[in-house]
Amino acid sequence: MSNLIASMMSAAGSLGAYSQVLDVVQNNVANASTPGYAAQTEELNAMQFNPTEGLSGGVTAGQVVSSRDQYAEQAVQQQTTLMGQSQQDVSSLTAIQSLFDVTGTSGLDSALNNLFQSFSAWAQTPTSTVARQNVLTQAATVANTFQQTATGLQQVATDTAQQLNQTVTDVNHMSSQLAVYNQQIMNGDRNDAGLDAQINSTLQQLSQDGGITATQQSNGTYTVLLNGQTPLVIANQAYNLSLEPVPNSATSANPQGPAHLKVLAYDGTDITSQVTGGQLGSLLNTTNTVLPGLLGDQNQPGSLNTLAQQFASTVNNLLTQGYQTDGSDGSAAVAGVPLFSYDTTNPTNVAASLQVSSTVTPSQLAAIDLGPPEVSNGVALSLSKLADPTDSTGEIGGLSYTQYYANMAAKVGNLLSNATALQQTQQSAVAQAENVRQQVSGVSLDMEATVLVQFQQAYEASSKLITILDQLTNDTINMLSS
Amino acid sequence: MPAAPAEEGLERLVAARAEVRRAVELLVDASPKAVEACHGALDRAVSELAGFRSQCAAARGNAGARSMAVGLRTEVLRAARLFESLAAFYRGWERILGAMSAGYTASGDAAPVARQGRFYCQG
Repeated sequence: MSNLIASMMSAAGSLGAYSQVLDVVQNNVANASTPGYAAQTEELNAMQFNPTEGLSGGVTAGQVVSSRDQYAEQAVQQQTTLMGQSQQDVSSLTAIQSLFDVTGTSGLDSALNNLFQSFSAWAQTPTSTVARQNVLTQAATVANTFQQTATGLQQVATDTAQQLNQTVTDVNHMSSQLAVYNQQIMNGDRNDAGLDAQINSTLQQLSQDGGITATQQSNGTYTVLLNGQTPLVIANQAYNLSLEPVPNSATSANPQGPAHLKVLAYDGTDITSQVTGGQLGSLLNTTNTVLPGLLGDQNQPGSLNTLAQQFASTVNNLLTQGYQTDGSDGSAAVAGVPLFSYDTTNPTNVAASLQVSSTVTPSQLAAIDLGPPEVSNGVALSLSKLADPTDSTGEIGGLSYTQYYANMAAKVGNLLSNATALQQTQQSAVAQAENVRQQVSGVSLDMEATVLVQFQQAYEASSKLITILDQLTNDTINMLSS
Repeated sequence: MPAAPAEEGLERLVAARAEVRRAVELLVDASPKAVEACHGALDRAVSELAGFRSQCAAARGNAGARSMAVGLRTEVLRAARLFESLAAFYRGWERILGAMSAGYTASGDAAPVARQGRFYCQG
């Protein structure tokens, strides 16, 4: 009798196990199009068979095992972080690059060239009022263009700071969501496939914002760390990030310069140096490195301000060393006046404040170099030579002003070009990681070991070909260039 | 009418780029079979590029050819990047499998994956 009951129990247990398998299959079908969902498998564990001890054998359902292996999930998150970073880089750098036209048809490059041409025309007809007026007009255009570029960059800085705030808010919101999901798991919803999919979808979104590490604990909850160090979520508790400006230092070179931004952990610890990936990492890099390189900060004037200051002071120096009249009519020689004015108290505000002095008239432009020997158009000639300087006057670090500007624009262009190429590659890398995630079952060690051997063999063979192709392509480009 | 030498050379450059693109698609697929097939595509790309180089003199100074070669280099770098990310994944996965199947070494590293005497048949 006991054997019969044991057999019936075995049959009932098996039916229960197969019922759970059907549940899992149903989950897979129902969630086939849910973002973040990976197929689940049911483990069937063999029961001991020993009738004398009442062990009836058969199968029982083991713990439902999500085939979305944590490791593969992390790989997707890592690639998503890199993609979020490159996407944000492209977005920010595109906005910056639009302010640097190097085609010569508009922007600072064009304005500088037009001013140099007006200097040259003035040198040919130094007493011409029309030529002098044209110098003033072109100088005003240069000043306006410096201002517009600086204002444009300041707007990018403002937008970037707003995006940073929004991204930190998003991170905090998603962390709170994950804490709620963890609470549901702690309440017993651990095997809810829909919840599992929501968690992974949220983790993937979160990984786009920053480099996160998500590990599943033995109780099924997820612990989420930023850059492997700063807690964002532990059990049912979310730990919020915050953003604040780095305080001005009275001892810095430019106390009035734009402040950097720092990210703080829940306990107020400065974790800015840890935030290097994802949208957050990109936005911080734009705010604290890229834009200060152009607009300055508390420690540097920025290349745009350097260019504005050096250019304006060189022009002013040449003009004030020259003379409007040489005194040959018996009157005293009249010295020249400066053309440009700007904020001399704040080196990071030169470009934004640059303007042609409102009191300067065409007749006050000093063309005469008294020498000896006196040259009636000496100053105008020196100004026209700024387009292509032959000595350190008119150079910044060995570059002419237009070369220096082109160099600035090229740096931004190269950053954008690299970010665009990386973004395209990262889109492929995320797709690759998602495909790998679907392929890794984690169910059978033997199967996984076999896959490893297959991959190793394919990798060894193909990686040599990649190296050869790389070398051949570079050689080919060189051959075609020569 | 047979293609002129320069045109034929450019066709081989185009073919090399198409093969590398194919390799990139296979690497994105990332299945073991696709990665194996990648070898064939890369091999053909090397062959096409080597063929182009033998006729390269005719295309010297050709801006279009150079631009195409630069595009090819971008594709090669993308393939290299995808290979590296896949290799990094499998290196990490091998460490995890090693720890799961054979534990840890005395120095605390994951042991090599235990494969001795095991067969896995795939139908």
